[in-house]
This record gives sequence, structure tokens and C-alpha cells, in this order.
Amino acid sequence: MADTMGHSATTTRNKSVVIAFCLLAVAPQIFELIWSIGTIFGWGAGRGPATVLISHATALLAGAPGALLRAVGGDTKQASSDVLLALIYSYPLFAVAILTVFMTIRSAQDYVGGIVLMALALFALWASSDLQGMRGFSFGAGTAPRMFGGLLVALGAGIALTGLLTDGPAMAHYSWRGPLFVMVSIVFFALAIRPLGVVVTAFVSFLIAAIGTHETRWIEAVIVGACLTLGCALLFPYVLGLPMPMFPRFLVQ
Amino acid sequence: MFDLFHNLGLGFGVVFQISWWSPWWLYGLSLPISINILMCLIGALVGTLVGVLPGIGTVATVAMLLPITFGLPPVGALIMLAGIYYGAQYGGSTTSILVNIPGEATSVVTAIDGHAMAKQGRAGPALAIAAIGSFFAGCVATVLIAVLGAPLTKLALAFGPAEYFSLMVLGLIFAVVLAKGSVLKAIAMIVFGLLLSMVGSDIETGASRMAFNIPELADGLGFATVAMGVFGFAEIIRNLDAGAEMNRDLVQQKITGLMPTRKDLIDSTPAILRGTVLGSILGILPGGGAVIASFAAYTLEKKIAKNPSRFGRGAIEGVAAPESANNAAAQTSFIPLLTLGIPPNAVMALMVGAMTIHGIVPGPQVMQKQPELVWGMIASMWIGNLMLIIINLPLVGIWVRLLRVPYRLMFPSIVIFCAIGIYSVNNAPVDVILAGVFGLVGYWLIKHDFEPAPLLLGMVLGPLMEENLRRALLISRGDWTVFLTRPLSAVLLAIAAFLLVLTVLPFLRAKRDEVFTESEN
Amino acid sequence: MTSIRGLTGACAVVLASLCGFVAPTEAQTYPTRSVTMIVPFAAGGPTDVVARIVTSHMAQTLGQSIIIENVVGAGGTTATTRAARAANDGYTLITGHMGTHAASVPLYPKLAYHPEKDFEPIALLAGTPILILARKDFPPKDLKEFVAYVKANVEKVNAAHAGIGSVSHVSCELLHSILDIKPVGVPFNGTGPAMNALVGGQVDYMCDQIVNAVPQINAGTIKAYAIATPERNPSLPNVPTTAEAGLPTFQAQAWNAMFAPKGASPAILASLNAAAVKALDDETVKKRLLELGSVIPAPAERTPEALAALVKSEIAKWTPVLKPAS
Repeated sequence: MADTMGHSATTTRNKSVVIAFCLLAVAPQIFELIWSIGTIFGWGAGRGPATVLISHATALLAGAPGALLRAVGGDTKQASSDVLLALIYSYPLFAVAILTVFMTIRSAQDYVGGIVLMALALFALWASSDLQGMRGFSFGAGTAPRMFGGLLVALGAGIALTGLLTDGPAMAHYSWRGPLFVMVSIVFFALAIRPLGVVVTAFVSFLIAAIGTHETRWIEAVIVGACLTLGCALLFPYVLGLPMPMFPRFLVQ
Repeated sequence: MFDLFHNLGLGFGVVFQISWWSPWWLYGLSLPISINILMCLIGALVGTLVGVLPGIGTVATVAMLLPITFGLPPVGALIMLAGIYYGAQYGGSTTSILVNIPGEATSVVTAIDGHAMAKQGRAGPALAIAAIGSFFAGCVATVLIAVLGAPLTKLALAFGPAEYFSLMVLGLIFAVVLAKGSVLKAIAMIVFGLLLSMVGSDIETGASRMAFNIPELADGLGFATVAMGVFGFAEIIRNLDAGAEMNRDLVQQKITGLMPTRKDLIDSTPAILRGTVLGSILGILPGGGAVIASFAAYTLEKKIAKNPSRFGRGAIEGVAAPESANNAAAQTSFIPLLTLGIPPNAVMALMVGAMTIHGIVPGPQVMQKQPELVWGMIASMWIGNLMLIIINLPLVGIWVRLLRVPYRLMFPSIVIFCAIGIYSVNNAPVDVILAGVFGLVGYWLIKHDFEPAPLLLGMVLGPLMEENLRRALLISRGDWTVFLTRPLSAVLLAIAAFLLVLTVLPFLRAKRDEVFTESEN
Repeated sequence: MTSIRGLTGACAVVLASLCGFVAPTEAQTYPTRSVTMIVPFAAGGPTDVVARIVTSHMAQTLGQSIIIENVVGAGGTTATTRAARAANDGYTLITGHMGTHAASVPLYPKLAYHPEKDFEPIALLAGTPILILARKDFPPKDLKEFVAYVKANVEKVNAAHAGIGSVSHVSCELLHSILDIKPVGVPFNGTGPAMNALVGGQVDYMCDQIVNAVPQINAGTIKAYAIATPERNPSLPNVPTTAEAGLPTFQAQAWNAMFAPKGASPAILASLNAAAVKALDDETVKKRLLELGSVIPAPAERTPEALAALVKSEIAKWTPVLKPAS
């Protein structure tokens, strides 16, 4: 594998990996930003997009380095959660991304897999940073999550290291159509089951999921979907006695 | 011994009790029917159905059917609920084998080799051997309940927090052993599972951990949610990948015989025996006993096999042993309920609920006070197992035929069934979305060659391990030596250490060999 | 023969629940369709059993089926939050208990509802007495010795409970605050495992509801020091009350009561209260509740006003006990 790949190919591949890691490093911040757009329309509670943007930007650019300096200076003032996120999660990942530039990745599958696990572990460490630690002889709420979080960081690093030291498979090919439509179908189901009931939801979800592959033949899918919906509508509420709405709420009323 | 026969006689008498049924439309004619047999059959059928449907758990179904048992005679009601419980163990293996979706924690390992067999066109033998193993284990375990129920109770009581912690450590070592690929990756998956299990409220302080103020996460991630995601949805998404159609068509062409061959039977007989023994013992332990039983049985088979590399690639012992173990454990988990009145798991807790609704309060004296109930139930389990094998063996043909349904129609149906199943557990739409997210996580795991089974085991055992560690340390006032000074706990830890060495050594040796071969090249 | 009748009865129950919507009603007043009763705990638990026993009779009175929906999570507060936000048309009700409608206030600082402000009381359904239990070889012989022993060995004893916010947890906190001690509390995941540990002698004592404890006490696998009610319980005639045994201040009951979301119309509330009271007067309902060791509320305690007063007094009672604990 390695000998067929020229030097320039490795560099370009590395570049995309580095960019992906940088994106991963700010993924929670971006996610919160997207989420916060909903608050403009009054969906859900949380900070508005402007506040999110400003507070994360300052945390990433100024707050965290400041906190780091203070920590070095011995000041143990509690940093805000945004600053902690930058400190615990984003910075280490940026560091990894920078290191990646100089690495020869021999197994992208292992290397990227290990780093992403590390990212998950760092995120968990941040999420449990507000929990209490050991209290005398007894564990606090945060002891076990931090213990396992730390362990997973180490294991992720170990896996990434094997990706650097031993030859292995490169990144596998991801397709987008299947995952996208299956996810859309699932999300539709979750949002629609309460207001629209089993009959409508199951049928529409079936058809959305069916878009996930080019093999689908539509007439056949509609017939099977209808039969399946009928079967579900009889099976779950009646045979198994699971309480769930059958028809759209506005039709029942 | 005479007592035993007397009691079993009583039990069978209760089960076969004949009533005369004279509905008006028979104009005075009466039909002899046995209510309890009928209840047993209904329970077995519903249980099979529940087991087969992905997502719908036994706990949810028993809870839903509880009110229906209001109007039934108590013995019949309990026989039916028990039937659902062990019937689901039979049915649970079906989805594991056919579509790689374990409905219960106990059938996670079945999916590993069972689904591999299905991919080789040997779904029939896998399903059949699962049913045969379950039947044998069920029969043996039923006899065990009758003969040794009372003395075995002591085992459940001897297990304190320290012993449970050591047992969970052992369970996690099993998870490492069952991995077919890199040991490092398997351990990482277990720790990832442990970390996921930390989500929710802390048992000791009630503090909310990593729940991000999402109310549905307040009690943690459900097993069904994560299992449907990383196994069910991820498998579907992967099968939709471009180029995967070829493999699927290949599977459909490869489907061969429905029943196990003579060689299959010879291979799996000792596995079934060992699985039954392990399952019967571990099933008595409340909380996690049945899960560990199935993993332990698989690990044992893999360790003593002449060629362990077959495991994970469609070894029939890898189906026979855990299926026997989980069914044996399902039966023996009735022991603490019947002899102590203490429910060892959520389904048993519902059985207690059913009993109290009928005015029977289960307790240590229930065997003396309600012998016809206890022995009727024990006898019904044997009959139920017989019914289940009669139901399940012919069903094998139907299930295998299901594999011939084109995947373009199959996968949206599985999506819908999974979604309804997950929704029905808590009536929570967020659970469905979470399962979808875990589907993407599972897809990513597949792409990076991580195995989902150790992750699920870590998730199931994680809370048990942490809780019991903390309980043990609270009781011992922070003295860690308690795990070594209590004999049972020390033995379990010693086994765990031995297994770990046994697993890691060949791994290290293989690494060294790899390094050598590389340097030679 | 009786079992046949039972079977046909069961079929009738199933059919009735399936066809609830076609059952004819005399008057087109409330309820015109089936009512949902949220139970904030798992099916088969003490609260669920009480709710099922009472609602099955209420359904006959109201002429509509009452569908029980078990919603578990966060000590029952998930379900109670959902009920508080439900439409106040009288078609969504909740069977709350001491935990969800009183102890939750100090236990969960971020509680999304307030038991007094977000609910209309309907009726108190049942009270479940609480016992002080210990492993069978725990040295003290009676409650006085127990109090002395626990105070003297506060560093050594272990109290079990069924998880933060559970009845066994909050009632033991009350006991500890009365005795002014802070022994180590060992949390378990539910009453079953806690009882297992007590029977197995892994922990020393716990406070728990009578339902789970009676058979174990009768079999001698654990012992009971006292029952925290003013009167002895018929299912445990030999267990003294806390007043008799010398700790009169320890009074605790796990009560179950029915609530509707705030703003439900008075007429609906009145008809629900009437149905609940009628159910509590029914002989079979009474018998079933008594079998569980429950205490059936006296007629004066069954009014919505009495329930409102109870909720108020219970919040006042638990707040000082649980505030420092959480």
C-alpha cells in the first residue's frame, strides 16, 4: 500500500485529515451555534446565537489561554464551562491536528479511529468536569466518568499510535444516500408519532427510508408499506397492548 | 426425593387441571380444556413474538400485559407471564441471527456467530440449534429449580457488593476475549461502553451526569436504544452502501439446509451442555447474571476450542453455548423469586407486581403457603419449553424464507419495526432519535473496524460495576482489600486475572511474530 | 368452573379495553372518551398496584376506560412534569405519591413543576405505612436499643436505601434527622436489591414500605422494630408503633393520591373525586388495598381540600429534612 502511494499523495491525504480534526475540535461549539438558531424562532431554551458565538470565540481565543496562564501561576479560580470546553476538548485536538501534519499515517483507519475516540473521551471529560470528585473514602459522582474518560483518552492514543507504527487499511469509503434517508426516516418517525399516530407515521417513514437505495421500485414499496402499516397498526396496539396513538390528533378530536 | 416427585406431581396436576367449557353456542355440550395449558401456550406465543420483534423488550410487554391478567386466576396469570419471559429468550435469538439485531442484552453474543452463519446461508441450522439448545437448557434448569432451588438460594444471598464487583470485572474480561480483532480496540470499546453507561443520574448522590439537561437522558441511555442503533440501524446503513448488493444476493443464493447436519449436532452437543451448566449457576445471581452467563458460555467455548479463529466467523458452538446459557439463566432466575420472594431482575419485579395484584405476596414462605402456585409454575416451565420447541422448529423455515425477501423491502420494514419498538419502551420520541444517532455511531465503528458487542457489554455491566464498587467501598469504609479478603470475590478476581493473561499473551506473541515477519520482509 | 368464568371475565376485560371507545354512555358529559392515568413508576410497583386497583373501579363509575400509562424516570419527576404540562381537560390524570408531590421539592432544585401550583388535587387514595427493618442478627432487640445502638455506633452501621428520592431513602433521612445522626447510606437500585442485601446481611438496617417487608418479617429473615403510623397494622399485629416503642416523632407514610393538571374544571374534578371516593368504599377495592398493608383514608381525608392540605404539610415536613442532604 505505502509504496504505491507517492509522497505528494500522502501530504494531500494528511491535509484533509488535519482539516477534519480541526473541524472536530470545534464541533461542539458549531453544534451549539446551529442549535441556538432555533431560539430565534422560540424553539427550545438556551442561549441565542450571538451570545453563543461571542462567548465561544472569546473562550477559544482569549479565555482559555488566560485560564491556562492563571493555572500555571497557581490561581485556582473556577473557569466558565465555555473556557473549560476550549481547554479540555478543543486545544488538545488542535494540538493533535498540528502534530498530524508531520506524521506519516500508515493506517488511516486506525489513526483516525483512535483520534476520534480520544475526542469522544475528552468531550466526556469536559461534560463530567462539573461533577464532584472523591469525597474521603467514597467515590463522588464524577470519579468514575473521569477515570474511564482518562482511560479512553489513553486507549484512543494507543490505537492512533498503532495506526502510525503498523501498516493497515486506509479510510473506508462512506456513502451518503443510505445513512441520510434512514436518518431522515427515523427523525420523521420520532417527530410525527405523537401528533400523527402510527398509521400515517409508519407509512411515510417507510417511504422515506425506501429512498435510501436506488433499488427501490415505487409501486412495490407503496404496496408493501401499506401492508406493513396495517400490520403494525393491528399488532402493536391490539395484540401487544402498547398504548400509542393510531390516527392524527386533529382527525380524532 | 419422594417429596420432589410429590411436588412435581402436584405441579403437573395443577397445569393439567381440566375444566369443562360449555359455551352457549354448543347447546349444552361441554369441552374439556386446561386453562393453564392454554395460558402457557399464549405466553409462549406472545413471548416468541416479542422476542422476534426488535426493540420491544420483555419488560415492556409484561408490563403492558399485566392489567390483562387482572381477570385471570393467579396461577394461570403467572404461568402466562413466565411463558412470555422465557419465550422471548427463544425468539430473541431469531433477529440476532437473521438481521443482526439483538433484542435483549442476553442475545448480543448470539448475533456474532449467528449472523455470520446466516451470511454463509446457514441461518436454518443456526436458528434450529438455538432452539434445541434452549430447549435442553430449559429442561435441565427446570429440574434444577425443582431439586436444588432452596439450597441455591444461599448463593444469591452470599453475593454482596464486593462479589458483584468482581463478577463484573470478570464479565468485562469476557468481553475482551470474545473480540475477534485487535484486543486494544476491544478494550477501547468496553471503556467507551462504560463511559456511555455513566450518562444519567448518579446512584449515590443523584447528581445528573453528562445528561446536558435533556430530561430523557436523566435516567441514562436505554439498552434497547443503543443496541438498536449500533447493531440494527448501523447494519442497515452499511448494507445500503454501494457495492453491498452483491454480497446480499450472494447470501440469498447460498441458503442451504434448514436443519443442522449430523456434524453440527456433534459439534454443538458439548457446547450446549457447558452453556447449560454456566447459565444455570449464573442465572441465580440477581442483576446481570443472565447477561454474563451468555458471554461466559461463549468465552469458554472460544477458549477451549481447537481452532478459536473460527469464532466470529460462523462457528455453530458460538450460537449453541450462549443460547443454552441464556435460556438456562432465564429459568433459574426464578429461584430467588420463588424461594426468597426477591425479584432478581425487572421482569421478575413485574411478576411480583402480578402476584401482589392477585393478593399473593411473594416471600420466603411462598413455597409452603402456595405450593400449587410454585410447583404449577415450575411444571408449566417444562411444558412451555416443550411448546416453544414445537413452535420454533417449524418457524425456522419461515424465518429463513424471510431472508429471501428483497432487501429493498426488508430494510424499511426493519427501520419501522425498530422505531416502533424503541418508542414503545418509554413512549419517548427522543429515544428513537438517539437510536438513530447511535446508528451513525455504529456505522462509523464498522468503518473503523471496531466491534459493537464489547461496547454493549460495557454499557450493560458498567453501572453494575460502578454501583457495586461504590457500595463495597462504602460498607468497607474505603478499604480496597475487601475484594481480596472475601473468598468468593478473590476467586472471581483470580479467574479474571488468569483469563486476562491467557488473552493478552497470545496477542503479545502475535505482535512479536508480526514484527519479526515484517523485519524479515 | 370458576376459572372458566375468570377466563371469560378476562376476555371481557380485554374486549372492553379494546372497544372502550364504542362503549355507550348515558349522558354526553365528561368523560366522553377514555381517560389516561399516568403512573410515574414501573408497572407492578406499589403505586402502580394502588392506581390499578382504584382506577379499575372508577372506570365502571365513569363509564369510560381509564388507560394506565407507566412513565418511569428520575424518581417519578419525569412523568409528573409531563402530567403538569398536559392538557387540563380532565383526560390526563396522574397518581402521584409522597415522593413526586412533596419530597421532590427539596430533592430536585431544578424541578420543572410545583406540586401545589401546577396540580389540582382530586383525592387521597391510600397510605402505605413505613417500617424500621434490620437484618435478623442485628444486635438491638427493640426500638429503644436500636436508637441507642445506632447512635453509639454511627461510624459502623450501614443503612440501605432504594436510591435517591425513593420512599426508603427519604423516610430514613427523616429518621436520621430525628436521631440527629449521619450514618453511611448504601444506595441500591430499587427495593428488591436492597431487600436482598438486608436478608443476606450485607447491610444493617433500612426503612421500607410494608408491602415488601411483611413476608420477610413473617418468615424471620429480617426483623422489624416499629411501624411509623399512629396505629398498628392488621397484617403485622406484633410490630409496635413508633409511639409505643418510644420514638413518637418518627411518623411517615408513603401516600398515593390522584391529581389533575392545574385548571381542570371544578365539575370534572368533582365527578372524579366522587368516583374515587366510591371506589374506596367498594368492598373488593378495600379488601385488595388492605391485603397490600395499605391504610385506606378516612372519609374526611378523601376531599380535594384535605389532599391540598396534606401536600402542603408534607412539603413543609420534608423540606428541612432533605435540604441538607441534597
